[in-house]
Amino acid sequence: MSSEHKYTILHFDDVGFFYEKNKEFIHELSFTVSDREFIGLLGANGSGKSTILKLASGILNPSNGSIRLWGKPLQSFRYKDRAKLLSYLPQLLDMNVPFRVRELVAMGIYPYDIIPEMTLSEALNMVGLDGKSDLYIKNLSGGERRRAFIAMTLLQGAGLLLLDEPLANLDIKYQIEVIKLLKELKEKKNISIIMALHDINMALQFEKVMLIKDGKVLGMGNPEIVLSRDLLKEAFDVAIEARSFQTAYEIRNTGS
Amino acid sequence: MKKLIISFLLLTSHLLFFTSVYAGEPPNRIVSLAPNITEILFAMGLGERTVGVTNFCDYPNEARKKPKVGGIYNPSLEAVVSLEPDIVVMTTDGNTKEFEERLRSLKIKTYVFKAKRLHELPQGIRDLGIALGVKEKAEGLSREIEISMNRLTNSSLVTHYSSLKKRVLFIVWPEPLIVAGSGTAIDDAISLLGCENIAKGTYTSYPKYSVEEIIRKSPDVIFIGEGHMNMKETSRALLKKISKVPAVKNGEVYYVSDSIYRLSPRVIKGIDEMARCLR
Amino acid sequence: MSKIKISMLILVLVLIVSASLFVLPKVINPFQMDTVERNILFSIRFPRVVVAFFMGMALGVSGAVLQGILRNPLADPYILGISSGASLSAVAGILSGIYFFGKFTIPLAAFIGASLVSVLVGFFGWKKGRLWPERLLLAGVGLSFLFHAILMLLMSVSADERLGRIMFWIYGDLSTADWSLIPIASVFIISGISISLSRAKALNALILGDELAHSLGFSVRKERLLLFVSISLMTAASVSLGGIIGFIGLLVPHVMRFLIGADNRFLVPASALGGGTLLCMADLIGKSILSPMEIPAGIVTAIIGSPYFLYLLGRRDVLRA
Repeated sequence: MSSEHKYTILHFDDVGFFYEKNKEFIHELSFTVSDREFIGLLGANGSGKSTILKLASGILNPSNGSIRLWGKPLQSFRYKDRAKLLSYLPQLLDMNVPFRVRELVAMGIYPYDIIPEMTLSEALNMVGLDGKSDLYIKNLSGGERRRAFIAMTLLQGAGLLLLDEPLANLDIKYQIEVIKLLKELKEKKNISIIMALHDINMALQFEKVMLIKDGKVLGMGNPEIVLSRDLLKEAFDVAIEARSFQTAYEIRNTGS
Repeated sequence: MKKLIISFLLLTSHLLFFTSVYAGEPPNRIVSLAPNITEILFAMGLGERTVGVTNFCDYPNEARKKPKVGGIYNPSLEAVVSLEPDIVVMTTDGNTKEFEERLRSLKIKTYVFKAKRLHELPQGIRDLGIALGVKEKAEGLSREIEISMNRLTNSSLVTHYSSLKKRVLFIVWPEPLIVAGSGTAIDDAISLLGCENIAKGTYTSYPKYSVEEIIRKSPDVIFIGEGHMNMKETSRALLKKISKVPAVKNGEVYYVSDSIYRLSPRVIKGIDEMARCLR
Repeated sequence: MSKIKISMLILVLVLIVSASLFVLPKVINPFQMDTVERNILFSIRFPRVVVAFFMGMALGVSGAVLQGILRNPLADPYILGISSGASLSAVAGILSGIYFFGKFTIPLAAFIGASLVSVLVGFFGWKKGRLWPERLLLAGVGLSFLFHAILMLLMSVSADERLGRIMFWIYGDLSTADWSLIPIASVFIISGISISLSRAKALNALILGDELAHSLGFSVRKERLLLFVSISLMTAASVSLGGIIGFIGLLVPHVMRFLIGADNRFLVPASALGGGTLLCMADLIGKSILSPMEIPAGIVTAIIGSPYFLYLLGRRDVLRA
């Protein structure tokens, strides 16, 4: 299933972070992300998923430990260089931006001085917004808006995508399409993705899952193993079981 | 010896300053930037040589026909310049240092008429007269004013009032209530007439006064300036509020014309008017 | 499409400038001028138009940039209290009667006042190492009220003769504009516009939100500070040139956004052009309509601006909830 991983892209080494003094939020977090990985970051609200992504993107600085991007400390990168290597998409997207879809998506090339490979129409195509490039962002539906931002992130062409709940507000059709798209990108363009989500069933789609609770990693690895009943109970405080809905999807598709 | 030379130089420079502008012929083209100045110019026989006035210069009648250069606070620089004045006469009221500087940077002579109080008027007219080369006319005019003021001060009426210590209030505008405080020509007039201005001691010249204070200070006489409106109507409400005050109770509320507002030869008329009311 | 609109705007500007120089309030034929007319044209009309254009540019750009930094389409450079601070300073100068620097006194006072307020607002808006839009806004509004109140207090106890002059300065009076202030003010204004233009991409990114801007490779803290400084320079210079003129910073970016879009790489220069044109027009109207009495340009912009502002509120595509 997983192909050979050649490089270490991101490395968290014993990272700690606190929002307030003496109240450690993230504890001794260590993990590695190699190339061509598609990792789901799963946990309850407030478990630390967003914080981990923000630490990985450099928006927040760790209080202890180190974060390395391609072997170099994250903070040592120039902003523009870092932006060519990783991109971050927050959970809350402002709907009041005055731009049109194409203007927004085109902002993905800002870190670059030369136009990158992917074109604007390609990016729009990938998220299914090709007909809507002239519309204003504020006139789109919640899901369309999110897809536009995803297109911008795609255009940015970074090797590591950090996405915070990108499937929120999306119809199931688009949720699955986005997952399929991301998987394609991973294969074809060697991109790695860390995606925060809290839909447990969707997490089964991932090859690797990190289960988080209170800023600590409960388990990391194959979802079939990590998403065991015990760990899920610990993470979400309720007795549940994960079930893949790949089956459900196939049933719908066979037209019955 | 050195002291002598210095004092000589100082003296001549002062003389030069006062006589420099127009030792001979008065200037041909004068622009006035205030209504009271316009009146003074005409009174000194310079009406013909006045080529520009403000939109508010309405006395004498000939002044209304002169070309206009704008308001008191907002004259048009262009309008003034296009009249090619030899000199522009302005007051410290409303006109500003900026405008004056601007005129000077355009090489236009200016004269600032500094008199603001009643007792400053005669000297102010004298100085203006010297600067404009009409020394005698100005002298005559200012002496007239001095004589009139003296006449009033020494009149039996006034000495009578002095002993009575009549308390007077001059209302410029009833709502909002604005009165004439210290440092105004009106205040000077009240003192001239031997009365006491109850609104003296205020920090500004035309303060917004409190109705309460009027009642507390209970003036014997109230003057209300006519202005351009029907003051009787506008002041009705206010007079009702202060109806218990001696001035209102005894019917000693007088409406006077706006002659007293302008610091010009006409101001004497205004004072006369007030004096007659007191009689 | 946008090119046509911009060309038309430039055409309008040329017409307005020509009218201000040669037609209103009195016609001057440039080919047959006598000395007086030449004097009026070069010493009065020309500097006035230049001042109006520079001020308008500064205000237009400041409005566009501020609306981006604060992510608020209702932002105007004066919302940050810069106008109240400058007015207070200038009025204090006028009232005190101190005239050390001659005709530069009031502009200098205004500039210092505006700059001080910017620093104050920046200080209050700074937390944990960077400027926060919400804090800036609140600090600006709060300080604005405070200075305005102090200003009203000063005016209510001041001698009346200077009051009239103060009112006119507060409403934006360009009537005594001359060449002397233009060199230094234009340096500030051109610098401000250049800085804003060079950070236009960053401004676009900031509009998306701090985190996205960071993701796109911008140092949010540095960019916001830089842009804030450029606004302060431009606005302070503008205020020192001719007092407070409102609505331009608020409305011009809106109109330009409607005409050519929100991308600041085009919006910033367009707002400069639009702001300059609008102020030249306002001043032209102010000096001609009741000639020879002059209406301060700030009053004209308020009269034109308020109804247009209210009209904007009714449009769906401007302030959609």
